[in-house]
Amino acid sequence: MNCDIYFTGVGGQGILTIGEVLAETAVSMGIPSNFYPSKGMAQRGGFVKAQLRLGREHVGPNIPPRGADIVVSMEVSESLKALPLIKEGGEFVLLGNVWAPTAVALGKAPYPALEQVKEQIHLAGARLIYIDPAQLPLYQDETVRANLFVLGVLVHLSALKHMFQPSDVERVIRARFSREVESNLFAFRCGLEYSVEEAA
Amino acid sequence: MKKLITGNEAVAYGALRAGVKVACGYPGTPSTGCLASLLLMDLKDTYVEWSVNEKVAVEIAAGVAWAGHRALCTMKMSGVNVAYDSLISVAYSGCDGGMVIYVADDPGANAGMCEQDTRGFAIMSDMPMLEPKSVAEAYWLTQFAFELSEQIKGPVFLRSVTAIADSQAEVEIEEPAPVSQKPPLLVRDIARYTKAGSVIAMTQHRQLIERLELAEKIIAQAGINQLRLAKEAGLGIIACGVAAAYLEEGFEIAQAYGFRPETASILEIKASHPFPSKEVSQLLDRCPTVLVLEELEAYIEKSVYVMAQKLGYRGRIVGKLDGTLSRIGEYGVKQVVQGISAALKLDLPETLFNAGQEGLKLAAARPITVCAGCPHRGTYMAINQAIKRLKLKKNEVMVTGDIGCTILGMNPPFDTVWNEISMGASVSLAQGYVHAGVQTPVIATIGDSTFFHGGIPGLINAVQHQVNMTLIIMDNRWTAMTGMQVNPGTPCYDGLKGYQQVDIASIVPALGVNHFVIVDPFKLEETSTAIQNALVMPGVKVILARQECAIQAQRRGEKEGVIKITPENCNKCKLCIIVTGCPALSLGSDAIQIDPELCYGCGMCVQTCNKEALHKELAA
Repeated sequence: MNCDIYFTGVGGQGILTIGEVLAETAVSMGIPSNFYPSKGMAQRGGFVKAQLRLGREHVGPNIPPRGADIVVSMEVSESLKALPLIKEGGEFVLLGNVWAPTAVALGKAPYPALEQVKEQIHLAGARLIYIDPAQLPLYQDETVRANLFVLGVLVHLSALKHMFQPSDVERVIRARFSREVESNLFAFRCGLEYSVEEAA
Repeated sequence: MKKLITGNEAVAYGALRAGVKVACGYPGTPSTGCLASLLLMDLKDTYVEWSVNEKVAVEIAAGVAWAGHRALCTMKMSGVNVAYDSLISVAYSGCDGGMVIYVADDPGANAGMCEQDTRGFAIMSDMPMLEPKSVAEAYWLTQFAFELSEQIKGPVFLRSVTAIADSQAEVEIEEPAPVSQKPPLLVRDIARYTKAGSVIAMTQHRQLIERLELAEKIIAQAGINQLRLAKEAGLGIIACGVAAAYLEEGFEIAQAYGFRPETASILEIKASHPFPSKEVSQLLDRCPTVLVLEELEAYIEKSVYVMAQKLGYRGRIVGKLDGTLSRIGEYGVKQVVQGISAALKLDLPETLFNAGQEGLKLAAARPITVCAGCPHRGTYMAINQAIKRLKLKKNEVMVTGDIGCTILGMNPPFDTVWNEISMGASVSLAQGYVHAGVQTPVIATIGDSTFFHGGIPGLINAVQHQVNMTLIIMDNRWTAMTGMQVNPGTPCYDGLKGYQQVDIASIVPALGVNHFVIVDPFKLEETSTAIQNALVMPGVKVILARQECAIQAQRRGEKEGVIKITPENCNKCKLCIIVTGCPALSLGSDAIQIDPELCYGCGMCVQTCNKEALHKELAA
């Protein structure tokens, strides 16, 4: 089976880590993959995107328009940039974080409302898997890393569940993080247990 | 060993597998990762360096290759422009050791700058050009590039694009080959290694063309360009480099609209120069319609037209020149399907690749800005303050810009920098504005690595001709925008060794600059006063604004200080956010808030606050 995943968010959220963990998991299972992260020019707070193409032996790095089986977005406004990519009937995982650019914070520029974004995702014919950032669990009194939680949700609720077992991904997480393995595993496992109320 | 690596790393591993003795280059997105990965390895017999610029790097590589050893030289497309003066001369002379120029082009301009198609340079210098379509191909084509270079005795281009350079895929990597320990050649042969005299130059030109002809034979023999002829006379497709990676997927989609993949003859081009005339003539012979898929310029396609004319081809050629496809942006599945559809007159639904455009318009603009703690923030603020205090308007004072993080002053909230050309150009561009008769002060801004790379000749020129201008060198001690490479001015911090630092503070006075001031950009008053004073003086004035990149300092666990808020003094006027645009600042319900993780303690916000709501405590 093939699966194309488009990631979008802003620098500093660790969204590229999700893609890297999945690419490593695929490799460990002998599934062909091409992971193409794109950081642009910005450090923290800038637009970040990435494309993960799983399952094809020969594949170009860019997912075609309307070709993404899954979109993973960790920022409300940046979600909109994935709309030309999502397949009709695809899955749209959205963590409802807002990183307002300075002009927005100063009230000088508009920022889309969450409801608007959800409506656009609906219009694109995708199934929304919404994650409320307020629902992120605590580990030793601190909010867990959102990216590992989102990864758990992905592996649990999206079409990826047909490709990867949670244990496959856990092996990579263990090998990858020398520090904070336990808190990262905790975040991932909480994601695995997440249930969506708003799936529409 | 199978390993998940980037296209850039694949070139690095390929070069090691080819036993490369010297690797050098200058950082430039998207090529940087190649040399950066070699520098992280513990290589006993391979010398690796970031050179001061691409021209210097190519000359070093030439010296290695003329002495009979293998050299890799890496750069982004803009770097080829810098290196080309030397490169074309080296191509004329040829070389004994394998010499491979790795260049990464950027269709889609993901990193800004331009969509320059470096294949044009290969044509102009009669150098072979190899173009992998995937990460795995980058690995073995690099090895082939060294072989080819030594067989024809001339330098070879290896070109990737951002999508391959930055992609990660699994590649089977073999052990590095032993690096040759043979003594260096010292060949005195002025007919080969000098250019003085038309007989010498024209003989070299003839030999250069012969080398390219030989390359065509070697490439054809090795089967680098893969031709698959179908039994029937169906559509012919020529796909160059990364465009070939999208064929399979494009075929699947086009099939639904009546295309039959088994009827198509396909030529995958991995060596675009010399033009693969044998394979193309076979394809033209078989196919009544030919589709050419290549990103950016129509180099292959134009040669197909020439070949068609020579062969008396009566069929149709589909590509850019008939208006089907664009010279702009990356190619992918969409272009494959559109091309097939135009060639076979298939009926595609308009919405096949077109959706979500309405939603895109709602997305918030996210202009790139400098990081929290960036010392450049202080410099932009000081320039703006100095202009204001001289009772001038910002749109009256020309501030030329340059490549790297320093260009970010073009964006809000600073709106300081006006323009950008190429490495070092800010210094000379400013002189042009002065000679054009601009009466208000003219300022040039440049980063440290950019100054070393290409700014110094411009400054010498300004001194020689006594141009009234102010140069502000924004020295953050690193080549930052490309991901923190060492440059000649980088101090030998812990863990850095093997080079001697060259201090800009000793270079500038030595060039004959009489008014030279060093400032700390975290001190707004000091910096803006220094700039203000310089702007009203005649002659060349240079200000060195020196403070290390906050990202690098924080990686060593250092902070400049801690910013404390006194909420009862804050009237939420937002002045600190408006003036600094610092991403660590946000408006809370009672007062300004500071993200302690992001904040470096630079204190620029403190210096904008007129309510004493913010205080800086220096780090211990």
